[in-house]
Amino acid sequence: MVALVILSLALFTVFFREPASGVLHGVQDVGARILAPLQSGSAKAIQPFRDAWNWVGDLFGAKSENKRLRAEVVRLRRAVASELTTRSENEHLRQLLDLRDDPVFNDASDMIPARVISGSTEVWYSTVTINAGSADGVQLFDPVINEEGLVGRVTDVTANAAQVTLVTDQESFVDAVVQPGGVRGVVAGSVRGDVNLLYVDKTAKVEPGQFVVTSGRNGSIFPRGILVGIVENVGRQDVELHQTVALRPAVDFRKLEYVMVVKR
Amino acid sequence: MRSRAPARLWTWRVVMLEVVRLAAMLLATVLLQSTVAPHIRILGARPDLPLLAVICVGLLRGPEIGAIYGFLSGALAAVAMFGPPGVDSLVLVIIGYVAGRYGETIDTSSAWAPLSAACGGTLVAKVISASAQYLLDRTVPVGFFIGRAVLPALVLNTLLIAPAYLAARFWLREGGERARPA
Repeated sequence: MVALVILSLALFTVFFREPASGVLHGVQDVGARILAPLQSGSAKAIQPFRDAWNWVGDLFGAKSENKRLRAEVVRLRRAVASELTTRSENEHLRQLLDLRDDPVFNDASDMIPARVISGSTEVWYSTVTINAGSADGVQLFDPVINEEGLVGRVTDVTANAAQVTLVTDQESFVDAVVQPGGVRGVVAGSVRGDVNLLYVDKTAKVEPGQFVVTSGRNGSIFPRGILVGIVENVGRQDVELHQTVALRPAVDFRKLEYVMVVKR
Repeated sequence: MRSRAPARLWTWRVVMLEVVRLAAMLLATVLLQSTVAPHIRILGARPDLPLLAVICVGLLRGPEIGAIYGFLSGALAAVAMFGPPGVDSLVLVIIGYVAGRYGETIDTSSAWAPLSAACGGTLVAKVISASAQYLLDRTVPVGFFIGRAVLPALVLNTLLIAPAYLAARFWLREGGERARPA
């Protein structure tokens, strides 16, 4: 027993001290290559049960969800109308000023589809494993999205699988802006699973319902314009230097099934 | 010589059968933990199948096998979930060994044995795990840790240990010391 405890401590220490090309990382890589197909098969096998479980869960919350979505549709229609008006005006002004076009993330970006095959169950980590790896072109720190918005970033890659750290993870930080308004901040996850926009200027006006998107600035790994969340609550306290903005993540992480890795 | 050969062959067969059964159980629990458990949340906690399996193996097979099974279980879980190797192994080695020692002192056929082992095992696992994560700079507020991590896991693991123990006892039947020839 003592030998196994010492071995565990040694593994723990060596893993953090050795480079990414070290022996233990190599062993983990080989193990993950073998396990990934099994996990993929297992994930496929449980899919019908998962769908049934989600269906039952959705049924209970359907009425309140419907009400919330109807309100959101009304708000989005107004936002689209406003955006269409300002877009043409913006294009015209850009031409007049001869401004360089700063690319905004769109569906035409080069992306790698992947399926979520496993996830963490500990409170300390919010990660999932996907069935695409370096053989498919996935690289470390590639942004990961789905049809709803930003999922996270790639934090570990093997040949046929990759680990994605979700935006809800306590070590996830994303440079973001509130739209409309352009108020800047950093989206941070937490161990509680909450997502907050930090370092928001105290004088800036942020209101519930506004969208928070990736800024793409400061050499951020995330392209500009990916939806991260919607402002849910704004907390202003006299003693604080900044206001804290609570977000509702755009992605429903409980139902995360397919994702797209954005090639940088 | 002739009279000894069949006995040695029988022992070898039993050992191999035991190893295969434990390996299958190990793989199944880690696969279920990484693919099924993330989608299940009961009483605010997610099932910890490797922990329950290690407690069962410790109780049924003793401290040495419990510790080895715990080490391998932690190592495989780290590979499957891209976790740092050693953290889960350290936790599960201790749980497996202590569960095995505990199993030697009480009647493992009584319902109390797995229940008390699951309670104690969950508490110890959570505390060691939190200490290891603290070293990795992954901190959790104490109130949140107790209220949202320890207590729900304690209740859920205590509820799940009964079916898990029955399943493990069934799966590991006719193995170990009981089936070996005298």
